[in-house]
Amino acid sequence: MAEKSYSVRRIPGFGAVAVFTFAMLYLPIVILVLFSFNAGPSQSVWEGFSLHWYEAAFQNRQVRDVSIRSLWLAATAASIATVLATLAALGTTRGGRFPGQTIIYALINQPLMVPEIVTGIALLIFVAAIKVQTGYTGMGYLVMAHTAFCIPFAYLPIRARLETLDAALESAAADLYASPVQAFVHITLPLLVPGIVAGFMLGFVISLDTVVITEFVKSAGQDTLPTYMLGQLRRTVTPEMNAIATLFLALSLLIVTAFFLVTRTRGR
Amino acid sequence: MDATDKGEIHIAGVNKVFGQGASAFHALTGIDLTIATGEFFTLLGPSGCGKTTLLRVIAGFEQPTSGSLRINGAEMAGLGPNRRPVNTVFQSYALFPHMTVAQNIGFGLKMLGKSRSEIEATTSDMLRLVRMEALAERRPSEISGGQQQRVALARALAPRPRVLLLDEPLSALDLKLRKEMQSELKRLQTETGITFVFVTHDQEEALTMSDRIAVMSAGRILQLGAPTDIYNAPVNRFVADFIGETNFLVLPVAQTGGAVARLTLPGGNCAEARLPEGMTPVTGTTVTAVIRPEQAAIVAPETGDLTARVESAVFFGTDTHLHLTLADGQPFVLRRQNRPDQQPPEPGAMLGLSLASGALRVLED
Ligand SMILES: Nc1ncnc2c1ncn2[C@@H]1O[C@H](COP(=O)(O)OP(=O)(O)O)[C@@H](O)[C@H]1O
Ligand SMILES: [Mg+2]
Repeated sequence: MAEKSYSVRRIPGFGAVAVFTFAMLYLPIVILVLFSFNAGPSQSVWEGFSLHWYEAAFQNRQVRDVSIRSLWLAATAASIATVLATLAALGTTRGGRFPGQTIIYALINQPLMVPEIVTGIALLIFVAAIKVQTGYTGMGYLVMAHTAFCIPFAYLPIRARLETLDAALESAAADLYASPVQAFVHITLPLLVPGIVAGFMLGFVISLDTVVITEFVKSAGQDTLPTYMLGQLRRTVTPEMNAIATLFLALSLLIVTAFFLVTRTRGR
Repeated sequence: MDATDKGEIHIAGVNKVFGQGASAFHALTGIDLTIATGEFFTLLGPSGCGKTTLLRVIAGFEQPTSGSLRINGAEMAGLGPNRRPVNTVFQSYALFPHMTVAQNIGFGLKMLGKSRSEIEATTSDMLRLVRMEALAERRPSEISGGQQQRVALARALAPRPRVLLLDEPLSALDLKLRKEMQSELKRLQTETGITFVFVTHDQEEALTMSDRIAVMSAGRILQLGAPTDIYNAPVNRFVADFIGETNFLVLPVAQTGGAVARLTLPGGNCAEARLPEGMTPVTGTTVTAVIRPEQAAIVAPETGDLTARVESAVFFGTDTHLHLTLADGQPFVLRRQNRPDQQPPEPGAMLGLSLASGALRVLED
């Protein structure tokens, strides 16, 4: 009985607050998705169901280009970030404690704590200087910036997985004549795969989603899907944007679901 | 052949210190040990006495701070665990969760670069040896604790190591399974002829399974010998107390002569007690003597060596432990085998005790 009196559900207004919070979170998204199927050009007047805006989005050359760039950038940055994060996780959990370990841990997670706008401006100044020096204006800057930003997100699940991994398994491999490299390839790496996959997917979603940093770092003609959409929104907003946003949402949901399934089922 | 080549494992003056300066911890101190080929050797001692550390030094997971370790005549210093002819059965089993039972067993051979056909042949031999043929394709998470234990054993035996190290391999099993595995281990050791170095904190397990036992405490080996030696002739109070149950009696010395002393028992009778080597106590001083609870027999009151009053009787199934008080108030525990036609004596009853000859031993202080 005593437990029940502590239940948060008993607090007056709990239900109302919960409903309000969920409404604030999801109602705008529901409306956005709904109006992507609107037959007319309005965001507020429903004129019947149509896939018209999806068709428009698919036929829009620019949308296709920025989408491909976004996916390419996310895949590239997340891949590099995952490799680096795996090495960082191995370095910070294996090989014993070393001086400055806490500082390094903090530094790896720095992008999580520094405001994105600060990172953005810093990168803008830095990249501008390099551009002037080298004349190079390719995608390298965006790849580098996104990679740096993705590392902590990739690092966390990999490190978490590595910490739950029984160190006796690596000892057992060494005892059974595996060299350190063989022990890593045959034991540590396969058992780390769920963490690595999760890290990659998190990094991928984060990169796909990043606006501020991209906006500051990109050169002309390097719009990603989010920066392109931001640009379009400054003009008239047609439900074509809703359609693109809905597809974007679907992709993110797909990845997050996959992430959830991977971390749950491969966890054992 | 020099002396160091005689044993399978030769450990000389090994020390292991963890940490440095004020926080330095001496986990092993002055370990000297020669383990013979094909021996079932047991490290016995309470938790924290350094058994695992010594095993890890032999396996190569820890480097000794000083001292030398030879296996089959070869110096092991600087060799990693993957380059020693030794395999370990880990306390936690440490089976590879992403591999099947068969893959686990074949792992060592695979790392040694054996051919696929040899790996398959040896794996099925090992599966048969530990009676796990039917579960070869299961994952470790899909078999019971006792079965995991057998897989860990098979995995360590598959590469045919010269020495098998077993760190409390049975401690996670329930009593019945444990007894089964004890005889199974003994059978495997006899069949394979591999040297076993077995770690346990269970004195009964050590006594029943071992050819020789090293009793350890606080990083040192206190006594080394066959189970009967250690049980019958413990060198000091710690060993006497740790191995089996013991009565400690403080008794005055009536007379000494050679390897025995005559001690005055409570009640005035005298009894002969064996002395440890090199000890000649002065007549009139007191010494501590030990006698096992099963080495005294009940006789009629006022006959025998001692008179004792019954305080309580504790039933243990096969036998009953009688808690007694001697004439001078010292406690004495007597173990008596149960028989259906015998009732244990009532508390308050007076008994006579007769001590088995040679049972009483004086301990070094
Ligand atoms: N890596 C280590 N660092 C510091 N102390 C250790 C380390 N390994 C073991 N010890 C200490 O050494 C002592 C012996 O440990 P261990 O060999 O595991 O004992 P046992 O196996 O007999 O229970 C313990 O007090 C333990 O705390
Ligand atoms: Mg231990």
